[in-house]
Amino acid sequence: MAAPALERAGGPTESGDARRVAQLDGSNLIRVGARPGLFRYIREIWSFRHFLYYDSHSRVSSANSYDSLGRIWMILNPVLFGTAYFFVFGLLLNTGRGIDNFIGYLIIGVFTFRFFTAAVSGGANAIAGNQKVVQAFNFPRACLVISTTVRELFSSIPMFFVMALLVLSIGDMQLGGAESIPITLTWHWLLFFPCIALALMVMLGWSLALARAVNAHNDVKHLISFSTRILFYTSAVFFSADRYADLGVEWLDTVMSLNPLFCVLDILRHAWLYDGFADPGRWIVLGSWAAGSMVIGFLIFWHGEESYGKER
Amino acid sequence: MSTSTRPARRQGRNTEADLIAEDLAIEFDDDSSGPPEDRDDHPFTQQRPVIQAVDPKNVCMVVDDASMTYRVRSSTGNNNSGGRISRGLKRITGAGWAEVHALSNLSFIVNRGESVGVIGTNGSGKSTLMKLLTGKVRPTSGEVYATSTPVMLGVNAALVKEISGRENIRLGCLAMGLTPEQTAAKYDQIVEISGLSDALEMPLKTYSSGMSSRLQFAIATSVDPDILLIDEALNTGDAQFRARTKERLDEVRANAGAVFLVSHSLGTIKQMCTRVIWIEQGEMLADGDPQWVCEQYEEYTSHKSNGRTRAAKVVYERTRLRLDPVKIDFTSGSRPKKAGSSRIR
Repeated sequence: MAAPALERAGGPTESGDARRVAQLDGSNLIRVGARPGLFRYIREIWSFRHFLYYDSHSRVSSANSYDSLGRIWMILNPVLFGTAYFFVFGLLLNTGRGIDNFIGYLIIGVFTFRFFTAAVSGGANAIAGNQKVVQAFNFPRACLVISTTVRELFSSIPMFFVMALLVLSIGDMQLGGAESIPITLTWHWLLFFPCIALALMVMLGWSLALARAVNAHNDVKHLISFSTRILFYTSAVFFSADRYADLGVEWLDTVMSLNPLFCVLDILRHAWLYDGFADPGRWIVLGSWAAGSMVIGFLIFWHGEESYGKER
Repeated sequence: MSTSTRPARRQGRNTEADLIAEDLAIEFDDDSSGPPEDRDDHPFTQQRPVIQAVDPKNVCMVVDDASMTYRVRSSTGNNNSGGRISRGLKRITGAGWAEVHALSNLSFIVNRGESVGVIGTNGSGKSTLMKLLTGKVRPTSGEVYATSTPVMLGVNAALVKEISGRENIRLGCLAMGLTPEQTAAKYDQIVEISGLSDALEMPLKTYSSGMSSRLQFAIATSVDPDILLIDEALNTGDAQFRARTKERLDEVRANAGAVFLVSHSLGTIKQMCTRVIWIEQGEMLADGDPQWVCEQYEEYTSHKSNGRTRAAKVVYERTRLRLDPVKIDFTSGSRPKKAGSSRIR
């Protein structure tokens, strides 16, 4: 899908029977609805930062207002999923064989995965699902996508607390034949913050690109839910990455180590469960994903700025 | 009135219209409110366009040959277009495109200080024109230029349903680019205009449609835009609200450089506007003196509603003959390209 060119070639067509030609100097005029230049666009987003913050903040407080349990669902949801996965994968399929502190491993995997996919699918829907706000006001549209990501971060704070508490309390429970390493609160836990910051940048970049795609073609939504599944099964949420090496499929191991979500999980697990650092390669891969997604996603979104008010 | 001058005047026009006009012996009075006096009536030179220089200082808005064709996803519409394969494909997927020609080749210039009324029957393209003017949608061909981004005052744009009225006010103000300090300063005025001080803490989903349109109006009118578009839906609301809004609306109008007013109420149009544009079936039918255009429009709609199609057609053609289309020509290199600011003030 090509975005409309900034200035159409050839200009408007000759109109039929005009008998009056109005000649004027248009240098004082602007083209209504035109997309601003890249740096000006960034400046405009900055000038709308209060809107951005307020939008994300006010919607966090109302996110679960239709449920009678309200915000408790933000915590209950991953807890329920975690329990279900524990029974299916941990006990029935026994994918946790050989993983130390498997319960903590699974908790970090499920909670972080939910955070990641909720933010990306929410961000992808930020323009298409907010047409009324888009139609009513003239702010730079990227604000909506950014605010969705920020909102997701705000609303995940209680969830991350619960995740930390669960890992601390039951993360090192003895399970089957696997070893358990006692989990203690050390300064390594602070690695969580830079890691989540990089993950946020990846999510924002993906959201920006997907928001444009979903607005142009609603079909992309179906692909997103499919890709989410694939990501779930390829990010070592509930099994160990060593499985592939054991199977002798070398290339899968490479694909895995290039997966940004796997890098996030691996860094967090090393810091929280095993009290140490992950492979520095993980940080490099995650950092490149963060920078690359942000730049490319933002350019893709900015390029389509004029198309977001269109009827679908 | 002699018939001898008429064919010359309308040379190159729709001949069917001529026939109908001749048929019913319609009179043209050439005085007032018609085409401008500087038109060349001589049969040999009248095809040559008259070139008028427009002072760029006075210009507020330029619509240059704008056309709009919507392409919307539709499972039923327009299954006959395209080749055999694409038709078959559409039948299988059930997802096709429907094309709607909403506006064709509209051109006009609005000067500073003008209040332009836009009239037309339902589905004639008024709302589409408003969307083009605010820049929400880019015309499929042609462009819209202005001195600043126009602002639409409408009540059709709902706010965020899940959050309270108070939060919606803040959110709306910030979305228009006001700073938090300006928002706080405007807050009381907005509450007063909306008259909703009792319901501010309730989420917007508990509001009636009238209440939310009042809130939307109050938020939208809290700024003073340079180019203002007012939607007809503002005429809704109870008498008490209308009285309260009228004052604020007059204030905003007085501060604006140019005003567009879309309405079905010809009384309002005649009262508020200095110029009226009549759009019918996506084409401009008249552009001029409110009194004259409204008279034609009234006659047209009354014929239409009484089923007198032929008489309506006559009025239509008669009005169109008076139309004096304009072509926009930017002096070399001055066709605007730059974007406007998103902030209102």
